[in-house]
Amino acid sequence: MPLFSRSASAAAKQPAATSSTGARRPLRRTGVAAAAAAVVMALSLSACGSGSGQQSADGPVELRFSWWGGDKRAQLTQEAIKQFEAENPNIKIKPEFGDWSGYWDKLATQVAANDAPDVIQMDEKYITEYSSRGALLDLSKYEIDTSKLDEAALNAGKGPDGLTGIAAGINAATILANPKVFEAAGVPLPDDSKWTWKDFERIAADVTSKSPKGTYGAAAYGTDEASLGVWLRQNGKSLYTSDGKLGFEPGDIAEWWAFLKELSEKKAVPTASEVVEAEAAPLDQSGLATGKNGMAFWWSNQAPALEKASGSDLKILRFPTQTGSADDAGLWYKASQFWSASSRTKHPEETAKFINFLANNVKAGEVLLADRGVYPNSEVRAAIESKLTPSDVKVVKFIDQIKDELGEAPAPPPKGAGAIQEIIKRYTSEVLFNRLSTEEAGKKAHDEMKSAISS
Amino acid sequence: MSAISELSSFSRRKGKATAEEKKANGRDNKAAYIFLLPWLVGLVAITIGPMLMSLYLSFTDYNLLQPPEWTGLENFTRMLTDARLHNSLRVTFTYVFIGVPLQLAVALLIALVLDKGLRGLPFYRSVFYLPSLLGGSVAVAILWKQIFGTTGLVNQVLAMFGIQGPGWISDPSTALGSIILLHVWTFGAPMIIFLAGLRQIPNMYYEAAKVDGATTLQQFWKITMPMLSPIIFFNLVLQIIGSFQSFTQAFIVSGGNGGPSDSTMFFTLYLYQKGFGQFDMGYASAMAWVLLLIIGVFTAINFIASKYWVFYDD
Repeated sequence: MPLFSRSASAAAKQPAATSSTGARRPLRRTGVAAAAAAVVMALSLSACGSGSGQQSADGPVELRFSWWGGDKRAQLTQEAIKQFEAENPNIKIKPEFGDWSGYWDKLATQVAANDAPDVIQMDEKYITEYSSRGALLDLSKYEIDTSKLDEAALNAGKGPDGLTGIAAGINAATILANPKVFEAAGVPLPDDSKWTWKDFERIAADVTSKSPKGTYGAAAYGTDEASLGVWLRQNGKSLYTSDGKLGFEPGDIAEWWAFLKELSEKKAVPTASEVVEAEAAPLDQSGLATGKNGMAFWWSNQAPALEKASGSDLKILRFPTQTGSADDAGLWYKASQFWSASSRTKHPEETAKFINFLANNVKAGEVLLADRGVYPNSEVRAAIESKLTPSDVKVVKFIDQIKDELGEAPAPPPKGAGAIQEIIKRYTSEVLFNRLSTEEAGKKAHDEMKSAISS
Repeated sequence: MSAISELSSFSRRKGKATAEEKKANGRDNKAAYIFLLPWLVGLVAITIGPMLMSLYLSFTDYNLLQPPEWTGLENFTRMLTDARLHNSLRVTFTYVFIGVPLQLAVALLIALVLDKGLRGLPFYRSVFYLPSLLGGSVAVAILWKQIFGTTGLVNQVLAMFGIQGPGWISDPSTALGSIILLHVWTFGAPMIIFLAGLRQIPNMYYEAAKVDGATTLQQFWKITMPMLSPIIFFNLVLQIIGSFQSFTQAFIVSGGNGGPSDSTMFFTLYLYQKGFGQFDMGYASAMAWVLLLIIGVFTAINFIASKYWVFYDD
């Protein structure tokens, strides 16, 4: 059993008297040595507890697989696991899943404790963080067929550390509209092929004024980087540059907040307090799902889950533009999430086999459908077309529809990008509560983001 | 009369032990150590060991994924210019210095009422203790969130009187106050201790005072308070230490981000975010040691100040 396999330098700094014989000396004289010995013991104990258990070569192999997501995803994914286990009786998959909010804290802790799951659902915000620090397996070295995968999606998982993630789906930033709210207010749904941000403001404010108290035309943006990314792209900037820096100036983000404030003043979006409360709500309890918002900012793959939660037939809309032409919407295909593997997995072959199954096997596709976005594998996509539910079909159609309007693919988020969302959220509430001017917020947020991704 | 005074008189006695006594003590000690062994192993393996590790980590740059790198005092010097850390200290101090006195006052008040010999005392004692059992729990923090939400119970009641309340926990100006209130509400543990203390004050003092014509208020200030001062001191020390380390309530109520606008960003919450959210475990470890230092200083101040107001009846 390797003691200190990871932190040999720490071991070197321990006093020399930490051999196990120390424990046999009379207790009263060796308090320090005994303590030190116990430290070693404690550390080695934790090392023993890591990994997913050692099995003999021909016994069954157990892999741990963790993802974030709601109930619907959990059901689908567990069904896919069953299919895989039926084909591979020697491999058992142990699922671990939870909400997005706790997922990353848990993963960081597990990786630090040398206890990472074998298969990890990864996000673009964190993939550089983990892969540049050697935590993810280079999947190109294992048997995973990438020939059928969409090229852009495949490239999104490549970096200087190899192919550390296989795109699980393709999605795009969208605005989802709840026709029920519009109907109740007597406001027609917007034409998303030519609407501007001014139209968005006018329509949302209109819905609010004609709806019962507590219902708003739109949810506020400013709680994640997707809506900021779109805004910046529409103004010729970007969230990040290809060399891993910020692609915008403090003034750009200040303008974005200035417009949000305008929306808030015209009551197109909920009050500051309600915005803060909505941030913490899971998907099923979001304003769109509960019928409190006419429109909200979501990723395209989340539409079916939201449709289920809201019980109404949602409409997927393009983002508004500054010019009124959908060609300037600046959308892009995003790898919704990745299948990654821990670099310390004891069973890389089996792990790769499972990822290959998820990415390329029609049986997996028939179960997972479009929950994690449109399938990047063209063959699977074609094979499952007839199985898609009406809400999945809507998503696939939307992704096809915007194909010719896409801007160029954005630069991948650099190391430290995981902290950006929290910074955006915090300064959005500073702005909405009038505690900072938009210029001050822009400057401070820009400074903080800069130091977050440069450290 | 209290645990603390007994402890100090015990240590005084111990100093005068003869050689013979020491020998006998040695034999007894051996047996004691053997009985203590399971606990000692636990203490060393899951308290002291990790503490030493975190002391080492506090001098390193450790991102959880790669081995730590020695950086000397850099983490500590970085703290001097970290505005969010300074804010988190401000939030934590506000919480401790408003929450603890308020909670102890409420606990004492309820204890005094219960001490008046209520019928069904055990029942009331349990009822008032209940929040303490629940208060630190995740479930109650979630409940709190509902009660103080924009459309929560509090605002619904206010609406009956035509008052439009703010979103108590989502508005930066009231969020911390809501969490302090949650803390005050969990007054049960100090209340039980106060109640036990009140029971130990001999009734004859009050009888004598009554004969001399002292008012109830005079009795409280001249008898109850001095006699209870060791208990107050004990509660104060415990509550201050506990409050500095408070984490769960702010974590749940703010959804883990210390928001809105960092208004509920406790020191411990920031520590957690740095360590587990931003891959800065070296810095988080350094913060943990600063917190230990702060708690140590305040406990020391408490003990020094206690000489001037705590009355030991021995």
